Amino acid sequence: MYHAAETVNVGLAAPLDESGLIRAAQNGDQDAFERLVREYDQSVLRIATNLLRSPDEARDVYQDAFLKVYRNLNSFRFDCSFHTWLYRIVTNICLDRLRRRKVRKEESTSVETPDGMVDRVTQVREEGAHANPERQMWNRELSGGIARGLAGLTPRERTVFELRHYEGLRLREIGDMIGTTEEAAKNCLFRATQKMRLSLETFV
Amino acid sequence: MNCLEAGKEIPNYCYGEVSSELEELVESHLADCPACRTELARHRKFLELLDEREPMLDSSMLVQCRSQLNTAIRQQASVEASHSAGWRGWHRVLETLRDFSRVQIPFKVPVGAMALVALGFVGARYTPEKFGGVRAATMEPLFSSVRSVEPNAGGQVQIAVDETRRHIVSGSIQDPQIQELLVSGVTDGSNAGVRLKSIQFLHDQVLPAGVGSADVDQVRAALLGALRNDPSAAVRLKALDGLKQFASDATVRTALAGVLQKDEDSTVRMQAIEMLATHHDDSLVGVLQNVVQKEDSPLVRAQITQLLAQLKASVGTY
Repeated sequence: MYHAAETVNVGLAAPLDESGLIRAAQNGDQDAFERLVREYDQSVLRIATNLLRSPDEARDVYQDAFLKVYRNLNSFRFDCSFHTWLYRIVTNICLDRLRRRKVRKEESTSVETPDGMVDRVTQVREEGAHANPERQMWNRELSGGIARGLAGLTPRERTVFELRHYEGLRLREIGDMIGTTEEAAKNCLFRATQKMRLSLETFV
Repeated sequence: MNCLEAGKEIPNYCYGEVSSELEELVESHLADCPACRTELARHRKFLELLDEREPMLDSSMLVQCRSQLNTAIRQQASVEASHSAGWRGWHRVLETLRDFSRVQIPFKVPVGAMALVALGFVGARYTPEKFGGVRAATMEPLFSSVRSVEPNAGGQVQIAVDETRRHIVSGSIQDPQIQELLVSGVTDGSNAGVRLKSIQFLHDQVLPAGVGSADVDQVRAALLGALRNDPSAAVRLKALDGLKQFASDATVRTALAGVLQKDEDSTVRMQAIEMLATHHDDSLVGVLQNVVQKEDSPLVRAQITQLLAQLKASVGTY
């Protein structure tokens, strides 16, 4: 079973036999399941956080996704890689949430951070006490531009863009995850990129 | 390739998402076109700017998530364990019927069907039309949900469907199988209402009517488990009600002392004190003196002080 870690360990000490771990977890081995989670959970949380820009929602997605994996691991038949299967679950949960936000039109410029609510437009990278005020202003405006651009994407465009640009996944794999073709994912990325370029036009 | 075509491919080219043939065409165009080279440089700058985005993830979030997942999985495992315990009783019924079938009914009749008939569980079932099922009169709804849709190697589609069938079980409160199901209901982690009603039946009907001594132990253990571990204060209170007739039992009194020290609900603590007060027990004095010093609720403090007075003990430990 799980135990809250004192520190965050991303890698594994021993080489990972993923298929073996999956089969062991399918047979009820909790330690194997834990190792699988630890292998991927940082990526899962990063994707959810970046897609939703809300730590609270990202925590919910993390839990929902791994509980789904836990409940449905026996239905995993090695037809695709485990990480494609897992990321498919994660992106679907995130897409649902993004779509619900669009329906409710709740997208605001504010985002939750560990330090509380911060306006995306004014969100700025921490640069220390001696940072150049002009540079700070520039960073603030750039962050606002990126946030506004992302907020202007459709949930699907945002997902494809996030997975391709920030996660570095291939379009073929992204297509698999969101249930579309590589070509459709490519078109989606193109539209997203154009919109993002437009929102950052003054910086380029 | 002209400038328009090259412009459309530059974003994919930068991500390395063009075929080798297309890559060659783009590069060949770029070599001859200063305007498109400028556009390429601007696009690369744009991509660099995107990386200025503030990361939101910190390591404490991950630790927190792992801890919450751990708790959720424990609960899930506990629900699964209680469900499987609940069905053990029925498994025995089915085993009995299997023996019965060897005598009365031709061997190849499915045992499950015989069990349903013999127990009066009408076998009609409802399958939603979307799964190609047929609507039928039903006493047992079948709840289905699609869990995954995958292509399979043969070019067909493979759909995983979870099905949950509800059986309506009715019987005398004296029926050991019914009693066993009620005990299982006490530990049903997924539904506080079920836990509450199970305890109520055990308390109001099963225990007063009298059960075998082994079953009493089982009921008491289930109630103690609910008292110690149930997240719902209402269920814990109901468990205390059920335990009233065992108030003189040493195990129960130890559990009551534990409630005084650990339960976060003051009503539950007060109820526990009432039960402890029904039997004179000097060994409680130390616990009560300790608890009264830490107790936040004035009502609970007053109740403990009163109990200490009954036991002719002081409030302080001195």
